[in-house]
Amino acid sequence: MSGDVELIGVFADDAQCAHAIEKLHHAPIVEFHTFSPFPSEKMLEAVDEVREWGRSPVRKFVLAGGITGAITALVLTVGTSWEWNLNTGGRPIASITPYIVIIFEMMILFGVLGAVTSFFIKSGLPSFDSATGYRTRFGADRFGLVVRTAESDSAKIESLMREAGAEEVVREAA
Amino acid sequence: MAAAVDQSNYHNLSYLDVDRTAQRVMAPAGLKYWLWVGFCAFLVAVGGSFWARQIYEGLGVTGYGQPTLWAVYITDFVFWVGIAHSGTLISAVLFLFRTRWRTAVYRCAETMTVFAVLTAGLFPIVHLGRPWFFYWLCPYPNERYLQPDFRSPLTWDFFAISTYLTTSTLFLSMGLIPDIANQRDISIGWRKKFYTVLACGWQGTDRQWRNFAMAYLLLAGFATPLVLSVHSVVSWDFATMQTPGMHSTIFAPYFVAGAIFSGCAMVLTLIIPMRKMLHIEDLVTIWHLDSLAKVILLTSLVITYSYSTEAFLVYYAQDPIEMMTFYQRFFGHQGYLFGGMVLCNCLIPLFLFSPSIRTNTIWLFVISIFVNIGMWLERFVLIAGSLSVATIPSQWKFYVPKLTEVMITIASFGWFLMNFSLFTKFLPIVSMTELKEGVGWLRKSARNTYPYGKPS
Repeated sequence: MSGDVELIGVFADDAQCAHAIEKLHHAPIVEFHTFSPFPSEKMLEAVDEVREWGRSPVRKFVLAGGITGAITALVLTVGTSWEWNLNTGGRPIASITPYIVIIFEMMILFGVLGAVTSFFIKSGLPSFDSATGYRTRFGADRFGLVVRTAESDSAKIESLMREAGAEEVVREAA
Repeated sequence: MAAAVDQSNYHNLSYLDVDRTAQRVMAPAGLKYWLWVGFCAFLVAVGGSFWARQIYEGLGVTGYGQPTLWAVYITDFVFWVGIAHSGTLISAVLFLFRTRWRTAVYRCAETMTVFAVLTAGLFPIVHLGRPWFFYWLCPYPNERYLQPDFRSPLTWDFFAISTYLTTSTLFLSMGLIPDIANQRDISIGWRKKFYTVLACGWQGTDRQWRNFAMAYLLLAGFATPLVLSVHSVVSWDFATMQTPGMHSTIFAPYFVAGAIFSGCAMVLTLIIPMRKMLHIEDLVTIWHLDSLAKVILLTSLVITYSYSTEAFLVYYAQDPIEMMTFYQRFFGHQGYLFGGMVLCNCLIPLFLFSPSIRTNTIWLFVISIFVNIGMWLERFVLIAGSLSVATIPSQWKFYVPKLTEVMITIASFGWFLMNFSLFTKFLPIVSMTELKEGVGWLRKSARNTYPYGKPS
C-alpha cells in the first residue's frame, strides 16, 4: 500500500522485544514480524498470543510420516515375504514379530523426513530473498521487530517501541 | 592440576563473545592443522591400500579362518556404532530433559556421531569377501528372485544403521542452519558463498524459529528411542546366535550402556585437546567435562553390573559348554584381554569418584583413552573370543589379527579424525544459538569452573 512505512525496532534484550510485541498487540497492530539470534521463548509466546497460531503444523507432517513409514515397512516385509516366499522349517512365511524391528525403524525414518521437510516448507526455506528489515546483527546479538504501518500511525508505534526499550527505531519506505 | 582459565572473562559473557569465540575457532587454519589433517589422510591412504590388497587377494590375507569368521572388522563396526551413540544421547536425550550442560558439547558429540556412523558403515563392507555386492542387503526387485530375509538381524542392522545415519545427519544439519546463517552474515569471499547456500536463506524470523523449535523437539523425540533401538539391534546380531558366550538376553541393555560409556569417553578424548588447541576453554568449561565424567562413571558401574550378571547367569544355568566358554574367556589363552577390559572399563573409571580427578583435564583425558581401549577390547573378547572357543574343542583356534586388519583399524581412526578436524574449521563446532539461549547458565557454569571448593 502506498504511503505505508516499515519501522524496524532494534532491541538488546529479548524481554524488551517481547514487551514491545505485547504493547503492539494492545494498540492493536498485528502486521509485524520479528528476528532473533535464538528461539526466545518470551518472544515466541508474545507472538503466539497476538497471532493465535496454536501448535505448529510440523506435528501433522511428522505423524503422517510416521504412519506412512510404518505402513510402507509392513507392506515391504509382509508383501515381499509372500511374493518371494521361503519356507524355513515350516515357520510362518510372514513373521510379524521380527518385522516389528523394521517397521519401527522405518516409522522413525519417515517421521524424521516428515519433520525436516515440513520445517523447510512451513518456514519458507530455501529462500534467497531477504525478509523485510533484516539486519546481520539480528543473527548475532540483537532482536528485531519490524512493523508495517500507515505513515500516520508511525510516530505512535515508534514511541511504543522506544517505551519498551528499543535502542533504535529505523524507518524505511514499505 | 585443573586447567587454569581466566574466570573473570565469563561473568560478562555476551552474545557477541560467543560469536567471536566460534569465529576464532573457524579462522583459517595454520600449518600445524594441515599437517595433522595430512597425517590422518596418510593413515586413510595406507589403510585403503591394505583394503585394496584384501579385495584383490581375498580374505586370506587376514587372520580370519574357521571358526573365527567374525573378528576385528565386526569389532570395529560395533566399536564405532557405540561411539556414535553418546552423540545422540547428549544431543537428543539431554535436550528433552533440558539439561543445560549439553549446550557447549552437544555439537561436538553430534558431529562425532555422524562421522562415527560413517566409519562404522564401512566395516560391514570391508568385512565382505566380495564388497561390490554389499547392495544385496537392500530390498529391491531383482532378477535373482531373492529378497533379504527380514527375520535376519543383519537385515535389521541395515535398516537400523541407515535410519540412524539419516536421522543423526539431519539432526546435526538442522541444528547447524542458524549458526551457518550467522557465519554467512559475517564472512567474505568463498566462505560467504558457501555459507549462503548452506544457510538456505535462514533469517531467524518468528515463523522460522517456531517451526524450527517444533521440528527439533520432534527429531529429538524420535532420536531417543532410535538410539536405544539401534544398539539393541546391533547386540541382536550376536544375541540371536546360538554361539556360547553370545546367546544372552542381557545384551541389548548391556550394549546400550556400553555405547553411552564409550561414546562419552570419546567426546572427552576429542574435546579436551580441542578446547585447548582452539582456545574454547571459556565455552567448554570444567563444569561440562565434570558432567560428562559423571555420565562415564555411572555407565561404567552399569557395565560392571552387566559383566557380573552375565557371568552369574552362566554359573547359575550350569550349562557346561557355556561354562567352558566363560572359563576360557576369563582364564584361557587370551584371558589377558578380558583382564585388560575389566581394568579399563570397571576399575580405572572408579577414579572418577574423586572430584579432583573429574576436574583435572589431564586425568580425564588419560581415563577416556583407557575407556576407549577397554571398550574396543570388550567387543573383541565378545566376538572373536566367543567364536574362537567353538562347541567342539578340536575346532578351537585362537584368532590373531594380521597387519591388514591392524592397518585398516588404524585407518578408521585416521578417517574419523580427518573428517572431524575438517568439520571444526569449516562449520561451527559449538552451537552459538544454544549457547546464546543459555548464556545465563553459561555464566553460572563459569563461576562454577572449580565446583568443589577450589578458588572461584
